[in-house]
Amino acid sequence: MKVLGIDLGSRFVKLVVYEGERLVFSEVYDTVRFYREYCKNEAGSILLHLNRLLPLKVDRMVSTGYGRNNVRVLGAEVITELKAHALGAALQTGLEDFVLLDVGGQDSKVMLVEKGRLVDMLLNDKCAASSGRYLENMAALLGIPLDELTVHYKNPLALNSTCAVFAESELIGYISEGVEASRLYAGVNYSLYKRIKPMLARFTGERIVFVGGVAYNKAMQQYIREGEAFKELIVPEHPHLNGAIGCCRHAFTSDQ
Amino acid sequence: MGRIGFTTTIPVEIIYAAGKVPVDLNNVFVTHPNPEELLCQAEKRGFPRNSCAWIKGIYSALMGLGDVDCIIGVVEGDCSNTRALLEVLELEGIDYVPFSYPRTRNEKRLKEEIDSLMRAFGVDYKRVMEIKGEIDMVRRKVQYLDELTYKYNKVSGFENHLWQVSCSDFEGDYREYGAKVDALTVEAEKRAEFTQPVRLGYVGVPPVFPEIYQFVEEHGARIVFNEVQRQFTLAPGGFDRDIYQAYRDFTYPYSLEDRLQDIRAEISNRGIDGIIHYTQAFCFRGIEDIVVKERIDTPVLMIEGDRPGGLDARTKLRIESFIEMLHDLK
Repeated sequence: MKVLGIDLGSRFVKLVVYEGERLVFSEVYDTVRFYREYCKNEAGSILLHLNRLLPLKVDRMVSTGYGRNNVRVLGAEVITELKAHALGAALQTGLEDFVLLDVGGQDSKVMLVEKGRLVDMLLNDKCAASSGRYLENMAALLGIPLDELTVHYKNPLALNSTCAVFAESELIGYISEGVEASRLYAGVNYSLYKRIKPMLARFTGERIVFVGGVAYNKAMQQYIREGEAFKELIVPEHPHLNGAIGCCRHAFTSDQ
Repeated sequence: MGRIGFTTTIPVEIIYAAGKVPVDLNNVFVTHPNPEELLCQAEKRGFPRNSCAWIKGIYSALMGLGDVDCIIGVVEGDCSNTRALLEVLELEGIDYVPFSYPRTRNEKRLKEEIDSLMRAFGVDYKRVMEIKGEIDMVRRKVQYLDELTYKYNKVSGFENHLWQVSCSDFEGDYREYGAKVDALTVEAEKRAEFTQPVRLGYVGVPPVFPEIYQFVEEHGARIVFNEVQRQFTLAPGGFDRDIYQAYRDFTYPYSLEDRLQDIRAEISNRGIDGIIHYTQAFCFRGIEDIVVKERIDTPVLMIEGDRPGGLDARTKLRIESFIEMLHDLK
Protein backbone atom coordinates (compact mmCIF):
# COMPACT_ATOMS: atom_id res chain seq x y z
CA MET A 1 0.00 0.00 0.00
CA LYS A 2 1.23 3.48 -0.88
CA VAL A 3 0.20 6.31 1.44
CA LEU A 4 0.44 10.02 0.77
CA GLY A 5 1.06 12.17 3.84
CA ILE A 6 0.28 15.88 3.48
CA ASP A 7 1.39 18.53 5.94
CA LEU A 8 -0.27 21.84 5.11
CA GLY A 9 2.10 24.25 6.83
CA SER A 10 1.80 28.00 7.02
CA ARG A 11 4.97 28.51 4.95
CA PHE A 12 5.39 25.24 3.10
CA VAL A 13 3.28 22.28 2.12
CA LYS A 14 5.10 18.98 2.52
CA LEU A 15 4.15 15.81 0.67
CA VAL A 16 5.64 12.39 1.30
CA VAL A 17 4.72 8.95 0.04
CA TYR A 18 5.52 5.81 1.99
CA GLU A 19 5.30 2.34 0.66
CA GLY A 20 5.38 0.15 3.72
CA GLU A 21 8.40 1.25 5.76
CA ARG A 22 10.04 2.96 2.82
CA LEU A 23 9.90 6.64 1.91
CA VAL A 24 9.52 6.64 -1.87
CA PHE A 25 8.74 10.28 -2.64
CA SER A 26 8.93 13.70 -1.00
CA GLU A 27 8.38 17.23 -2.18
CA VAL A 28 8.08 20.66 -0.55
CA TYR A 29 5.99 23.48 -2.02
CA ASP A 30 5.65 27.11 -1.08
CA THR A 31 2.20 27.25 0.58
CA VAL A 32 0.81 30.11 -1.50
CA ARG A 33 2.04 28.55 -4.74
CA PHE A 34 0.65 25.18 -3.71
CA TYR A 35 -2.88 26.51 -3.21
CA ARG A 36 -2.71 28.58 -6.38
CA GLU A 37 -1.29 26.03 -8.75
CA TYR A 38 -2.13 22.56 -7.47
CA CYS A 39 -5.52 22.85 -5.82
CA LYS A 40 -9.09 23.63 -6.64
CA ASN A 41 -11.68 24.64 -4.05
CA GLU A 42 -14.81 22.57 -4.27
CA ALA A 43 -17.65 23.35 -1.88
CA GLY A 44 -15.33 24.26 0.96
CA SER A 45 -12.94 21.37 0.41
CA ILE A 46 -9.65 21.23 -1.44
CA LEU A 47 -9.31 19.04 -4.47
CA LEU A 48 -5.66 18.22 -5.15
CA HIS A 49 -4.40 17.86 -8.72
CA LEU A 50 -2.66 14.62 -7.80
CA ASN A 51 -1.48 13.80 -11.30
CA ARG A 52 0.54 17.01 -11.34
CA LEU A 53 1.77 16.67 -7.78
CA LEU A 54 2.84 13.04 -7.72
CA PRO A 55 4.75 10.80 -10.12
CA LEU A 56 2.95 7.74 -8.75
CA LYS A 57 -0.49 6.55 -7.72
CA VAL A 58 -1.36 6.31 -4.03
CA ASP A 59 -3.92 4.14 -2.22
CA ARG A 60 -4.63 6.36 0.74
CA MET A 61 -4.19 9.99 1.85
CA VAL A 62 -3.81 11.44 5.34
CA SER A 63 -3.38 15.17 5.95
CA THR A 64 -2.54 17.48 8.79
CA GLY A 65 -1.24 20.96 9.37
CA TYR A 66 -2.02 24.56 9.91
CA GLY A 67 -5.17 24.26 7.87
CA ARG A 68 -6.54 21.43 10.00
CA ASN A 69 -9.65 23.36 10.92
CA ASN A 70 -10.10 25.29 7.73
CA VAL A 71 -8.90 23.04 4.96
CA ARG A 72 -10.36 19.66 4.18
CA VAL A 73 -8.52 17.79 1.48
CA LEU A 74 -10.99 15.74 -0.53
CA GLY A 75 -10.38 12.04 -0.04
CA ALA A 76 -7.95 12.46 2.85
CA GLU A 77 -8.30 11.47 6.47
CA VAL A 78 -7.34 14.40 8.72
CA ILE A 79 -5.33 14.12 11.93
CA THR A 80 -4.10 16.88 14.24
CA GLU A 81 -0.59 18.29 13.89
CA LEU A 82 0.41 17.11 17.32
CA LYS A 83 -0.52 13.54 16.66
CA ALA A 84 1.19 13.70 13.27
CA HIS A 85 4.42 15.01 14.80
CA ALA A 86 4.45 12.48 17.62
CA LEU A 87 3.95 9.63 15.13
CA GLY A 88 6.46 11.05 12.65
CA ALA A 89 9.17 11.43 15.26
CA ALA A 90 8.56 7.91 16.57
CA LEU A 91 8.89 6.52 13.04
CA GLN A 92 11.96 8.55 12.13
CA THR A 93 13.90 7.87 15.33
CA GLY A 94 12.59 4.44 16.31
CA LEU A 95 12.17 5.83 19.85
CA GLU A 96 9.14 5.52 22.09
CA ASP A 97 9.90 7.90 24.95
CA PHE A 98 11.09 11.42 24.27
CA VAL A 99 10.37 15.11 24.46
CA LEU A 100 9.51 16.47 21.05
CA LEU A 101 10.14 20.04 19.97
CA ASP A 102 8.60 21.24 16.72
CA VAL A 103 9.37 24.74 15.55
CA GLY A 104 7.60 25.54 12.33
CA GLY A 105 6.76 28.53 10.21
CA GLN A 106 4.23 30.10 12.52
CA ASP A 107 4.31 28.32 15.82
CA SER A 108 6.23 26.10 18.16
CA LYS A 109 5.12 23.13 20.18
CA VAL A 110 6.64 20.93 22.83
CA MET A 111 5.21 17.46 23.33
CA LEU A 112 5.88 14.67 25.76
CA VAL A 113 5.76 11.27 24.10
CA GLU A 114 5.66 8.13 26.24
CA LYS A 115 5.40 4.62 24.81
CA GLY A 116 4.90 6.21 21.39
CA ARG A 117 1.87 8.17 22.60
CA LEU A 118 1.36 11.87 23.12
CA VAL A 119 0.75 12.40 26.84
CA ASP A 120 1.27 16.13 27.33
CA MET A 121 1.91 19.19 25.25
CA LEU A 122 2.51 22.91 25.25
CA LEU A 123 1.90 25.25 22.36
CA ASN A 124 3.17 28.77 22.04
CA ASP A 125 0.54 31.44 22.39
CA LYS A 126 -0.75 33.74 19.72
CA CYS A 127 2.48 35.48 18.81
CA ALA A 128 4.55 34.12 15.93
CA ALA A 129 7.78 35.56 17.36
CA SER A 130 8.76 32.06 18.47
CA SER A 131 8.65 30.59 14.99
CA GLY A 132 10.61 30.16 11.80
CA ARG A 133 8.93 33.15 10.25
CA TYR A 134 10.70 35.34 12.77
CA LEU A 135 14.06 34.03 11.55
CA GLU A 136 13.07 34.56 7.93
CA ASN A 137 12.06 38.15 8.58
CA MET A 138 15.26 38.88 10.46
CA ALA A 139 17.42 37.33 7.70
CA ALA A 140 15.61 39.48 5.14
CA LEU A 141 16.13 42.57 7.27
CA LEU A 142 19.83 41.76 7.62
CA GLY A 143 20.11 41.03 3.90
CA ILE A 144 21.60 37.55 4.30
CA PRO A 145 20.37 34.06 3.36
CA LEU A 146 18.61 32.18 6.17
CA ASP A 147 21.25 29.44 6.03
CA GLU A 148 23.95 31.92 6.88
CA LEU A 149 22.00 33.44 9.77
CA THR A 150 21.43 30.12 11.47
CA VAL A 151 25.05 29.00 11.94
CA HIS A 152 26.06 31.81 14.31
CA TYR A 153 25.72 31.17 18.02
CA LYS A 154 28.69 32.73 19.81
CA ASN A 155 28.35 35.85 22.00
CA PRO A 156 24.76 36.63 21.11
CA LEU A 157 23.56 40.19 21.55
CA ALA A 158 20.54 40.63 23.76
CA LEU A 159 17.32 41.25 21.84
CA ASN A 160 14.77 41.71 24.59
CA SER A 161 11.55 42.64 22.84
CA THR A 162 8.67 40.23 23.20
CA CYS A 163 7.36 41.54 19.91
CA ALA A 164 9.02 40.41 16.68
CA VAL A 165 8.44 43.78 15.05
CA PHE A 166 10.00 45.72 17.92
CA ALA A 167 12.94 43.29 17.85
CA GLU A 168 13.61 44.52 14.32
CA SER A 169 13.97 48.06 15.65
CA GLU A 170 16.35 46.80 18.32
CA LEU A 171 18.40 45.07 15.67
CA ILE A 172 18.57 48.21 13.56
CA GLY A 173 19.79 50.11 16.62
CA TYR A 174 22.69 47.65 16.99
CA ILE A 175 23.51 47.86 13.27
CA SER A 176 23.73 51.65 13.54
CA GLU A 177 26.18 51.21 16.42
CA GLY A 178 28.40 49.13 14.13
CA VAL A 179 28.15 45.91 16.16
CA GLU A 180 29.92 42.84 14.75
CA ALA A 181 27.64 40.99 12.30
CA SER A 182 28.12 37.49 13.72
CA ARG A 183 26.96 38.70 17.16
CA LEU A 184 23.84 40.18 15.59
CA TYR A 185 23.06 36.91 13.84
CA ALA A 186 23.67 34.95 17.04
CA GLY A 187 21.42 37.42 18.86
CA VAL A 188 18.54 36.65 16.52
CA ASN A 189 18.95 32.90 17.03
CA TYR A 190 19.33 33.27 20.77
CA SER A 191 16.20 35.40 21.08
CA LEU A 192 14.19 32.62 19.41
CA TYR A 193 15.71 30.07 21.78
CA LYS A 194 14.84 32.25 24.77
CA ARG A 195 11.19 32.31 23.75
CA ILE A 196 11.10 28.52 23.47
CA LYS A 197 13.13 27.81 26.61
CA PRO A 198 10.24 28.28 29.11
CA MET A 199 8.24 25.70 27.19
CA LEU A 200 11.12 23.21 27.25
CA ALA A 201 11.54 23.74 30.98
CA ARG A 202 8.13 22.14 31.57
CA PHE A 203 9.26 18.69 30.43
CA THR A 204 12.09 16.48 31.45
CA GLY A 205 13.44 13.40 29.76
CA GLU A 206 16.59 11.72 28.53
CA ARG A 207 16.18 12.71 24.92
CA ILE A 208 14.78 15.56 22.96
CA VAL A 209 13.82 15.16 19.32
CA PHE A 210 13.85 18.41 17.35
CA VAL A 211 11.70 18.71 14.21
CA GLY A 212 10.19 21.35 11.94
CA GLY A 213 12.10 23.56 9.52
CA VAL A 214 13.88 25.35 12.38
CA ALA A 215 15.50 22.07 13.47
CA TYR A 216 18.10 22.70 10.75
CA ASN A 217 19.20 25.79 12.68
CA LYS A 218 22.69 24.93 14.00
CA ALA A 219 22.66 27.72 16.57
CA MET A 220 19.35 26.50 18.04
CA GLN A 221 20.73 22.97 18.25
CA GLN A 222 23.79 24.32 20.07
CA TYR A 223 21.73 26.35 22.57
CA ILE A 224 19.53 23.34 23.36
CA ARG A 225 22.57 21.11 23.86
CA GLU A 226 24.24 23.63 26.13
CA GLY A 227 21.26 25.10 27.93
CA GLU A 228 18.94 22.15 28.54
CA ALA A 229 19.27 19.10 30.74
CA PHE A 230 18.59 16.51 28.03
CA LYS A 231 21.35 13.94 27.57
CA GLU A 232 20.81 13.72 23.86
CA LEU A 233 19.46 15.99 21.13
CA ILE A 234 18.24 14.13 18.07
CA VAL A 235 17.46 15.83 14.77
CA PRO A 236 15.98 13.16 12.51
CA GLU A 237 16.91 12.83 8.86
CA HIS A 238 13.91 14.79 7.59
CA PRO A 239 12.89 17.22 10.34
CA HIS A 240 10.82 19.41 8.01
CA LEU A 241 8.89 16.41 6.65
CA ASN A 242 8.11 15.04 10.11
CA GLY A 243 4.39 15.94 10.14
CA ALA A 244 3.80 14.44 6.70
CA ILE A 245 5.73 11.31 7.68
CA GLY A 246 3.53 11.04 10.79
CA CYS A 247 0.47 11.09 8.55
CA CYS A 248 1.78 8.04 6.69
CA ARG A 249 2.59 6.28 9.95
CA HIS A 250 -0.97 6.92 11.11
CA ALA A 251 -2.33 5.22 8.00
CA PHE A 252 -0.25 2.13 8.61
CA THR A 253 -0.78 1.88 12.37
CA SER A 254 -4.51 2.61 12.30
CA ASP A 255 -4.91 -0.19 9.77
CA GLN A 256 -3.31 -2.76 12.00
CA MET B 1 -38.87 49.98 38.70
CA GLY B 2 -35.23 51.02 38.73
CA ARG B 3 -32.43 48.87 37.40
CA ILE B 4 -29.21 48.26 39.29
CA GLY B 5 -26.15 47.27 37.28
CA PHE B 6 -23.19 45.36 38.68
CA THR B 7 -19.76 44.24 37.54
CA THR B 8 -19.63 40.73 38.98
CA THR B 9 -21.84 38.55 41.19
CA ILE B 10 -23.00 40.38 44.33
CA PRO B 11 -25.66 39.46 46.92
CA VAL B 12 -28.49 39.85 44.42
CA GLU B 13 -31.10 39.16 47.11
CA ILE B 14 -30.56 42.71 48.38
CA ILE B 15 -31.47 44.27 45.04
CA TYR B 16 -34.61 42.17 44.72
CA ALA B 17 -35.53 42.95 48.35
CA ALA B 18 -35.33 46.65 47.49
CA GLY B 19 -37.81 46.10 44.67
CA LYS B 20 -35.17 46.85 42.03
CA VAL B 21 -34.14 44.90 38.94
CA PRO B 22 -30.58 43.52 38.93
CA VAL B 23 -28.61 43.69 35.69
CA ASP B 24 -25.32 41.83 35.36
CA LEU B 25 -23.45 44.10 32.97
CA ASN B 26 -21.27 41.22 31.76
CA ASN B 27 -24.38 39.54 30.39
CA VAL B 28 -25.50 42.74 28.67
CA PHE B 29 -22.10 42.90 26.95
CA VAL B 30 -21.77 39.30 25.86
CA THR B 31 -25.37 38.95 24.63
CA HIS B 32 -25.28 42.30 22.79
CA PRO B 33 -25.98 41.92 19.03
CA ASN B 34 -22.66 43.59 18.25
CA PRO B 35 -20.22 43.17 21.16
CA GLU B 36 -17.27 44.15 18.97
CA GLU B 37 -18.86 47.57 18.52
CA LEU B 38 -19.02 47.95 22.32
CA LEU B 39 -15.30 47.22 22.55
CA CYS B 40 -14.54 49.78 19.84
CA GLN B 41 -16.58 52.41 21.71
CA ALA B 42 -14.60 51.80 24.89
CA GLU B 43 -11.31 51.91 23.00
CA LYS B 44 -12.32 55.21 21.42
CA ARG B 45 -12.90 56.51 24.95
CA GLY B 46 -9.31 55.55 25.74
CA PHE B 47 -9.44 52.02 27.21
CA PRO B 48 -6.21 50.35 26.04
CA ARG B 49 -6.41 47.74 23.31
CA ASN B 50 -4.33 45.51 25.54
CA SER B 51 -6.81 45.51 28.40
CA CYS B 52 -9.58 43.14 29.44
CA ALA B 53 -12.50 42.94 26.99
CA TRP B 54 -14.97 42.35 29.83
CA ILE B 55 -14.10 45.70 31.41
CA LYS B 56 -14.44 47.50 28.09
CA GLY B 57 -17.65 45.67 27.31
CA ILE B 58 -19.15 46.48 30.72
CA TYR B 59 -18.28 50.13 30.24
CA SER B 60 -19.96 50.46 26.85
CA ALA B 61 -22.89 48.23 27.82
CA LEU B 62 -23.58 50.51 30.75
CA MET B 63 -23.23 53.69 28.72
CA GLY B 64 -25.71 52.26 26.21
CA LEU B 65 -28.29 51.17 28.80
CA GLY B 66 -29.17 54.66 29.90
CA ASP B 67 -31.85 53.91 32.49
CA VAL B 68 -29.78 52.46 35.31
CA ASP B 69 -30.30 53.91 38.78
CA CYS B 70 -26.82 53.12 39.97
CA ILE B 71 -24.28 50.37 39.82
CA ILE B 72 -22.61 48.20 42.39
CA GLY B 73 -18.89 47.98 41.75
CA VAL B 74 -16.93 45.12 43.27
CA VAL B 75 -13.72 46.79 44.36
CA GLU B 76 -12.15 43.88 46.23
CA GLY B 77 -12.31 40.22 45.31
CA ASP B 78 -12.45 40.87 41.60
CA CYS B 79 -9.69 42.77 39.80
CA SER B 80 -7.88 46.08 39.79
CA ASN B 81 -9.26 46.79 36.31
CA THR B 82 -12.69 47.09 37.90
CA ARG B 83 -11.37 49.75 40.24
CA ALA B 84 -10.04 51.75 37.30
CA LEU B 85 -13.35 51.23 35.48
CA LEU B 86 -15.19 52.71 38.46
CA GLU B 87 -12.92 55.75 38.40
CA VAL B 88 -13.85 56.30 34.76
CA LEU B 89 -17.55 55.79 35.47
CA GLU B 90 -17.34 58.37 38.23
CA LEU B 91 -15.83 60.74 35.70
CA GLU B 92 -18.81 60.03 33.43
CA GLY B 93 -21.13 61.02 36.29
CA ILE B 94 -22.37 57.51 37.13
CA ASP B 95 -23.07 56.72 40.77
CA TYR B 96 -21.74 53.54 42.19
CA VAL B 97 -22.01 51.69 45.45
CA PRO B 98 -18.75 49.91 46.30
CA PHE B 99 -18.86 46.31 47.50
CA SER B 100 -15.94 44.17 48.66
CA TYR B 101 -15.31 40.50 49.19
CA PRO B 102 -12.52 40.60 51.80
CA ARG B 103 -9.64 38.58 50.44
CA THR B 104 -9.13 36.82 53.78
CA ARG B 105 -12.78 35.66 53.80
CA ASN B 106 -13.03 37.42 57.13
CA GLU B 107 -16.51 36.76 58.48
CA LYS B 108 -16.87 40.05 60.31
CA ARG B 109 -15.68 42.16 57.41
CA LEU B 110 -17.91 40.39 54.90
CA LYS B 111 -20.88 40.90 57.24
CA GLU B 112 -20.08 44.61 57.41
CA GLU B 113 -19.97 44.77 53.62
CA ILE B 114 -23.31 43.00 53.20
CA ASP B 115 -24.91 45.09 55.97
CA SER B 116 -23.63 48.24 54.34
CA LEU B 117 -25.11 47.16 50.99
CA MET B 118 -28.44 46.48 52.73
CA ARG B 119 -28.36 49.97 54.26
CA ALA B 120 -27.54 51.52 50.88
CA PHE B 121 -30.69 49.91 49.47
CA GLY B 122 -32.81 50.49 52.56
CA VAL B 123 -33.61 46.83 53.23
CA ASP B 124 -33.33 44.73 56.40
CA TYR B 125 -31.96 41.26 57.09
CA LYS B 126 -35.39 39.69 57.51
CA ARG B 127 -36.64 40.81 54.13
CA VAL B 128 -33.38 39.80 52.44
CA MET B 129 -33.65 36.31 53.94
CA GLU B 130 -37.24 36.00 52.76
CA ILE B 131 -36.13 36.79 49.23
CA LYS B 132 -33.17 34.43 49.61
CA GLY B 133 -35.61 31.66 50.51
CA GLU B 134 -37.53 32.27 47.29
CA ILE B 135 -34.41 32.56 45.15
CA ASP B 136 -32.96 29.41 46.66
CA MET B 137 -35.94 27.53 45.24
CA VAL B 138 -34.82 28.67 41.79
CA ARG B 139 -31.20 27.83 42.56
CA ARG B 140 -32.26 24.29 43.47
CA LYS B 141 -33.85 23.94 40.05
CA VAL B 142 -30.64 25.11 38.39
CA GLN B 143 -28.70 22.69 40.56
CA TYR B 144 -30.83 19.90 39.15
CA LEU B 145 -29.99 21.09 35.61
CA ASP B 146 -26.35 20.70 36.62
CA GLU B 147 -27.07 17.12 37.70
CA LEU B 148 -28.84 16.53 34.41
CA THR B 149 -25.54 17.56 32.80
CA TYR B 150 -23.06 15.36 34.63
CA LYS B 151 -25.14 12.54 36.12
CA TYR B 152 -27.71 11.94 33.43
CA ASN B 153 -25.90 13.41 30.38
CA LYS B 154 -28.99 15.17 29.10
CA VAL B 155 -28.07 18.84 29.33
CA SER B 156 -25.33 20.25 27.10
CA GLY B 157 -22.22 22.03 28.33
CA PHE B 158 -23.48 25.28 26.85
CA GLU B 159 -26.87 25.05 28.57
CA ASN B 160 -25.10 24.23 31.80
CA HIS B 161 -22.96 27.33 31.34
CA LEU B 162 -25.81 29.62 30.33
CA TRP B 163 -28.34 28.73 33.02
CA GLN B 164 -25.78 28.82 35.80
CA VAL B 165 -23.99 31.99 34.71
CA SER B 166 -27.33 33.79 34.47
CA CYS B 167 -27.90 33.14 38.17
CA SER B 168 -25.91 36.30 38.83
CA ASP B 169 -29.05 38.34 38.03
CA PHE B 170 -31.69 35.72 37.03
CA GLU B 171 -32.30 37.87 33.98
CA GLY B 172 -33.91 40.49 36.21
CA ASP B 173 -36.85 38.33 37.35
CA TYR B 174 -36.12 35.20 39.36
CA ARG B 175 -39.72 33.92 39.29
CA GLU B 176 -39.89 33.97 35.53
CA TYR B 177 -36.39 32.53 35.39
CA GLY B 178 -37.49 29.63 37.58
CA ALA B 179 -40.39 28.96 35.22
CA LYS B 180 -38.02 28.89 32.24
CA VAL B 181 -35.75 26.45 34.06
CA ASP B 182 -38.77 24.22 34.76
CA ALA B 183 -39.66 24.18 31.07
CA LEU B 184 -36.12 23.30 30.03
CA THR B 185 -35.93 20.57 32.67
CA VAL B 186 -39.10 18.88 31.41
CA GLU B 187 -37.79 18.99 27.85
CA ALA B 188 -34.26 17.86 28.75
CA GLU B 189 -35.39 14.87 30.79
CA LYS B 190 -36.94 13.40 27.65
CA ARG B 191 -33.77 13.71 25.60
CA ALA B 192 -31.45 10.90 24.57
CA GLU B 193 -28.19 10.91 26.50
CA PHE B 194 -25.08 12.60 25.15
CA THR B 195 -22.48 9.98 24.32
CA GLN B 196 -19.18 11.83 23.93
CA PRO B 197 -16.53 9.70 25.62
CA VAL B 198 -14.22 12.44 26.93
CA ARG B 199 -15.49 14.45 29.92
CA LEU B 200 -14.06 17.89 30.47
CA GLY B 201 -14.19 20.45 33.24
CA TYR B 202 -14.14 24.16 32.46
CA VAL B 203 -12.47 26.30 35.09
CA GLY B 204 -11.92 30.04 35.21
CA VAL B 205 -14.08 33.00 34.34
CA PRO B 206 -16.89 32.47 31.82
CA PRO B 207 -15.62 32.43 28.23
CA VAL B 208 -15.78 35.42 25.93
CA PHE B 209 -16.50 32.88 23.18
CA PRO B 210 -19.36 30.59 24.28
CA GLU B 211 -18.91 28.76 20.94
CA ILE B 212 -16.32 26.67 22.80
CA TYR B 213 -19.03 24.38 24.19
CA GLN B 214 -20.35 23.33 20.84
CA PHE B 215 -16.87 23.02 19.38
CA VAL B 216 -15.91 20.61 22.16
CA GLU B 217 -19.08 18.57 21.62
CA GLU B 218 -18.36 18.30 17.89
CA HIS B 219 -14.94 16.85 18.67
CA GLY B 220 -15.84 13.92 20.87
CA ALA B 221 -15.94 15.57 24.30
CA ARG B 222 -18.34 17.33 26.65
CA ILE B 223 -17.96 19.96 29.30
CA VAL B 224 -19.69 18.52 32.36
CA PHE B 225 -18.45 21.05 34.92
CA ASN B 226 -18.44 24.83 34.76
CA GLU B 227 -16.58 25.93 37.85
CA VAL B 228 -17.24 29.66 38.25
CA GLN B 229 -20.70 29.52 36.69
CA ARG B 230 -21.66 26.88 39.25
CA GLN B 231 -20.35 29.12 41.99
CA PHE B 232 -22.69 31.85 40.74
CA THR B 233 -25.63 29.61 41.67
CA LEU B 234 -24.38 29.43 45.28
CA ALA B 235 -25.42 25.78 45.12
CA PRO B 236 -22.10 24.19 46.17
CA GLY B 237 -22.42 25.13 49.85
CA GLY B 238 -26.07 24.09 50.18
CA PHE B 239 -29.10 26.28 50.82
CA ASP B 240 -29.65 26.27 54.56
CA ARG B 241 -27.30 29.16 55.24
CA ASP B 242 -27.83 32.80 56.05
CA ILE B 243 -26.84 35.41 53.49
CA TYR B 244 -23.48 36.04 55.13
CA GLN B 245 -22.41 32.42 55.13
CA ALA B 246 -23.71 31.85 51.60
CA TYR B 247 -21.47 34.56 50.17
CA ARG B 248 -18.59 33.45 52.34
CA ASP B 249 -18.77 29.95 50.87
CA PHE B 250 -18.77 31.41 47.35
CA THR B 251 -15.20 30.62 46.20
CA TYR B 252 -14.69 32.88 43.18
CA PRO B 253 -13.62 36.15 44.89
CA TYR B 254 -11.35 34.63 47.49
CA SER B 255 -8.11 32.68 47.31
CA LEU B 256 -7.22 30.29 44.53
CA GLU B 257 -6.79 27.51 47.10
CA ASP B 258 -10.53 27.60 47.90
CA ARG B 259 -11.28 27.24 44.22
CA LEU B 260 -8.81 24.38 43.79
CA GLN B 261 -10.45 22.38 46.58
CA ASP B 262 -13.78 22.74 44.84
CA ILE B 263 -12.28 21.83 41.44
CA ARG B 264 -10.50 18.73 42.76
CA ALA B 265 -13.66 17.50 44.46
CA GLU B 266 -15.71 17.92 41.29
CA ILE B 267 -13.08 16.24 39.09
CA SER B 268 -13.56 13.11 41.12
CA ASN B 269 -17.32 13.52 41.61
CA ARG B 270 -18.00 14.03 37.89
CA GLY B 271 -15.42 11.64 36.43
CA ILE B 272 -13.54 14.38 34.58
CA ASP B 273 -10.71 13.40 32.19
CA GLY B 274 -9.23 16.84 31.57
CA ILE B 275 -9.56 20.48 32.53
CA ILE B 276 -9.77 23.49 30.26
CA HIS B 277 -8.50 26.50 32.19
CA TYR B 278 -9.83 29.60 30.50
CA THR B 279 -8.19 32.93 31.14
CA GLN B 280 -9.09 36.29 29.71
CA ALA B 281 -6.32 37.99 27.75
CA PHE B 282 -4.41 40.54 29.88
CA CYS B 283 -5.96 39.17 33.10
CA PHE B 284 -3.98 38.44 36.27
CA ARG B 285 -5.64 35.04 36.33
CA GLY B 286 -3.32 34.02 33.49
CA ILE B 287 -0.57 33.95 36.11
CA GLU B 288 -2.71 31.71 38.32
CA ASP B 289 -2.43 29.03 35.64
CA ILE B 290 0.99 28.18 37.11
CA VAL B 291 -0.71 27.14 40.35
CA VAL B 292 -3.69 25.49 38.64
CA LYS B 293 -1.41 23.24 36.59
CA GLU B 294 0.76 22.30 39.57
CA ARG B 295 -2.06 21.66 41.99
CA ILE B 296 -4.38 19.63 39.80
CA ASP B 297 -3.39 16.10 38.84
CA THR B 298 -5.73 15.87 35.86
CA PRO B 299 -4.32 17.18 32.51
CA VAL B 300 -4.93 20.93 32.14
CA LEU B 301 -5.08 22.92 28.92
CA MET B 302 -4.91 26.68 29.34
CA ILE B 303 -6.64 28.68 26.69
CA GLU B 304 -6.93 32.41 26.41
CA GLY B 305 -9.72 34.47 24.91
CA ASP B 306 -9.66 38.12 24.05
CA ARG B 307 -12.68 39.36 22.10
CA PRO B 308 -16.05 37.81 21.24
CA GLY B 309 -16.54 36.46 17.74
CA GLY B 310 -15.83 32.76 17.93
CA LEU B 311 -12.81 30.58 18.49
CA ASP B 312 -9.65 31.37 16.55
CA ALA B 313 -7.91 28.66 14.53
CA ARG B 314 -5.06 28.23 17.01
CA THR B 315 -7.38 27.76 19.98
CA LYS B 316 -9.37 25.23 17.98
CA LEU B 317 -6.22 23.30 17.17
CA ARG B 318 -5.15 23.26 20.80
CA ILE B 319 -8.54 22.11 22.08
CA GLU B 320 -8.82 19.47 19.39
CA SER B 321 -5.35 18.11 20.12
CA PHE B 322 -6.07 18.10 23.85
CA ILE B 323 -9.28 16.09 23.36
CA GLU B 324 -7.48 13.72 21.01
CA MET B 325 -4.75 13.20 23.60
CA LEU B 326 -7.28 12.54 26.40
CA HIS B 327 -9.11 10.15 24.13
CA ASP B 328 -5.92 8.20 23.46
CA LEU B 329 -5.09 8.17 27.18
CA LYS B 330 -8.45 6.71 28.13
